[in-house]
Amino acid sequence: MKASRVLLLVAILIIAGILGWHFSRHSPSSGETITVYYTKDDGTSEVPWTVSVRPRSPKDTDAQRANDVALYSATQAVAGPSSDVHAIRFPAGTHVLSANVTGSTATVDLSGEVKNTASGVGGESAEFKALTWSLTALPGIDSVAVRVEGQRVKTLPGGHLELDEPLRRSDF
Amino acid sequence: MNRYAARIFSALALGAFALLPLAARAAGTDFVFAGRHIHFERFVDQQGGRAVAVDDSGLRAFLGQAAATIAWQPGQRYILVTTAQPLIVNFALGDRQYDAGPVTETAPFAPFLLDGRAYVPFDELVHAIGFSVKSDGAQQVLQPQLTALDVQGSDTGVKIVAHGGMPLDAKVTSAGAGKTVVTFADTASALPPSRTVDGGTVRRIDARTEGTVQHPRAVITIYSNASAGRPQPGTDDQRDFTLAFGGQQTDAQQQQQQINAPAQQAGGQTQQIHVTSVQTGSESGSTTVRIAIDGPASYEWHRLRAPDNRVWVDIHNARLGMAPQDAPVRVHQQSPDTVRVALTLPDFQTVDVEPDQSGITLTAGPQLADEGMPRSGSGTAGTPSAAAIAQTTPAPDDTWKFSPKPTPSAPAYIAANPRLIVIDPGHGGSDPGSIRGQYVEKNLTLDMAKRLRDILVKRGWQVMMTHDDDRDVAAHAESDGDELQARDDVANTNGARLFVSIHVNSFINSGPHGATVYFYKPEDYSLAQALNHRIAAHVAVKSDGIVKDKLYVLHHADCPAALVETAFISNPDDRALLASAQWRQSMAQAIADGLGDYAGPAPAQSGPGQ
Repeated sequence: MKASRVLLLVAILIIAGILGWHFSRHSPSSGETITVYYTKDDGTSEVPWTVSVRPRSPKDTDAQRANDVALYSATQAVAGPSSDVHAIRFPAGTHVLSANVTGSTATVDLSGEVKNTASGVGGESAEFKALTWSLTALPGIDSVAVRVEGQRVKTLPGGHLELDEPLRRSDF
Repeated sequence: MNRYAARIFSALALGAFALLPLAARAAGTDFVFAGRHIHFERFVDQQGGRAVAVDDSGLRAFLGQAAATIAWQPGQRYILVTTAQPLIVNFALGDRQYDAGPVTETAPFAPFLLDGRAYVPFDELVHAIGFSVKSDGAQQVLQPQLTALDVQGSDTGVKIVAHGGMPLDAKVTSAGAGKTVVTFADTASALPPSRTVDGGTVRRIDARTEGTVQHPRAVITIYSNASAGRPQPGTDDQRDFTLAFGGQQTDAQQQQQQINAPAQQAGGQTQQIHVTSVQTGSESGSTTVRIAIDGPASYEWHRLRAPDNRVWVDIHNARLGMAPQDAPVRVHQQSPDTVRVALTLPDFQTVDVEPDQSGITLTAGPQLADEGMPRSGSGTAGTPSAAAIAQTTPAPDDTWKFSPKPTPSAPAYIAANPRLIVIDPGHGGSDPGSIRGQYVEKNLTLDMAKRLRDILVKRGWQVMMTHDDDRDVAAHAESDGDELQARDDVANTNGARLFVSIHVNSFINSGPHGATVYFYKPEDYSLAQALNHRIAAHVAVKSDGIVKDKLYVLHHADCPAALVETAFISNPDDRALLASAQWRQSMAQAIADGLGDYAGPAPAQSGPGQ
């Protein structure tokens, strides 16, 4: 009799645990959004647009959340707005490999396609200006360190923009 | 009773296990894609679906062919897939819901970790990037889909834009009076079978799929008014297919109708927004400015430090829907697409800018602001969803865009050799710079640099060129950037008065044109302004003004430096200018005159050896 009560209690706890887990994971979207930027094809004007981000999980640490949102912001900035918008874009195929926030700096690792920037100063700086503005629009971030395939670089090959120090909005 | 409880427990325990991710049991699976077999190794059955590891080689090969990428690293919860369109699909570990662009979808199971690898729902991923999994008897086929067909109105007529999971291979197979048939090879239709378009040139669009599972054909029939004429096929980005009809559209079509498969396409913003009123109130030392707008708009605000104390809000893509005013708040159409609302505060007070569904409220508080408070911000207002992103960021000390003159803070540079000007012809040697046809940047910059040198020497300046033939400057460049440092070193080690780098601009499309002068350090600013002034006044090229940019050669030159992008090699009109020796001479002349305006006449030769 006593054993059956213990079993019943265990069963109830398991049900409660499963239900709790289930509902905590499937709460409706919080509607959280971030602002990202693209550069108009005049090469200098930044245009903001708003994208929604997947809601934070209760298990996320602040650091993990900051990295996730930074990755999302950088990925949006590198991809640019929908193709009918006249924006200056990173070279085709460029994508974000990772993003990590340390202090107030977001370090963004770009894929090697970024080296194909076959443009003058205008295109090159417009690309990185949009990336810098997007990430520094996130709370607590004021600079963006750029890596290419994990490596720190002074400039891109044949490039002009200095990339070995974190970029800030005031650099543009 | 005992037995009863034990049964409940067993059933619940089984149920609990069913909710946990199943261990890998299948040893991979094969799919046919574009006639080839792709083996997916890390592929597991999941309740209600199938899951694939983000680092699976088969998945990577498939995404590579579809020009899509996937990003995830251990410790990160987000798994992001980017398509070429671009569309970003955002999966999150432990979250059944995922975003495909602006649309939120629900998968049968959440992405999970297994042996340290992230697994995502396979069918949902495939669908989100414009593919479908179809069975061809014994084989499973990854079939590209025609996912979107937008009908866009314009001044000149109607354009139909088609998008799919792969670059579209389309043919207009028949175009008769009022009926056009377009066939898309190796693509199936994910569009509704028939769709009526209200009024205007295009009346109805039918879509069907023919062929086999491995070689499908999407066949689209467009019914239009006979007056529309023969449609013109084309492409905007090499991946889509466009079909342009002449003739006028109705208002309904001007607003852009879309025929989309689910989970595709973010809208563009075309609606004209107006600033309808600006009202000012003041109460116990604080000032409130209420800006009413009649639709969604982005804005940014800036303020200047004391003693200037100006603060302004720019509303973008907006027109003035009221009379301009000058007091108590200045309201003007700042540029064709920006309305500026500006005021001067009595002191350096706190400023708060809050967007809402019908406008923006700026409040200047009675308290004084700390030096560290944000001095600029941006966001959107007037959106139906009130997506208020009052993101603020501490403004840079030199918000050059609106108050271009940065305050020089560095100690004034004193040149060891005030008669020396260093000219840097952009690129050279192993680095050709931009190339269009027979025109190569390094040759054009070297030519203009030599012309500039000759003028300056005649005027009594001592001139050094970082290179005066076609070669690399750095003897042993170990990394990109060493070459640029070597050019700065010419100026730095010789104590030059000025450094000027001459370049030719380029962009991936032919639109941008004109000359731009770049600066970075505060002491570069006046030089850039002087050069731009002469170029704008005396060279037959559009002036794009001066722009601040962290360019390596400007940052690492000890002396004032500027970089002149003379014209765009990628623009046909500018290219014709660059091809003209006379024009290149006029550019060299203008740069020389600008240098003279900045530095005055060349100092007299001071002694032997100079």
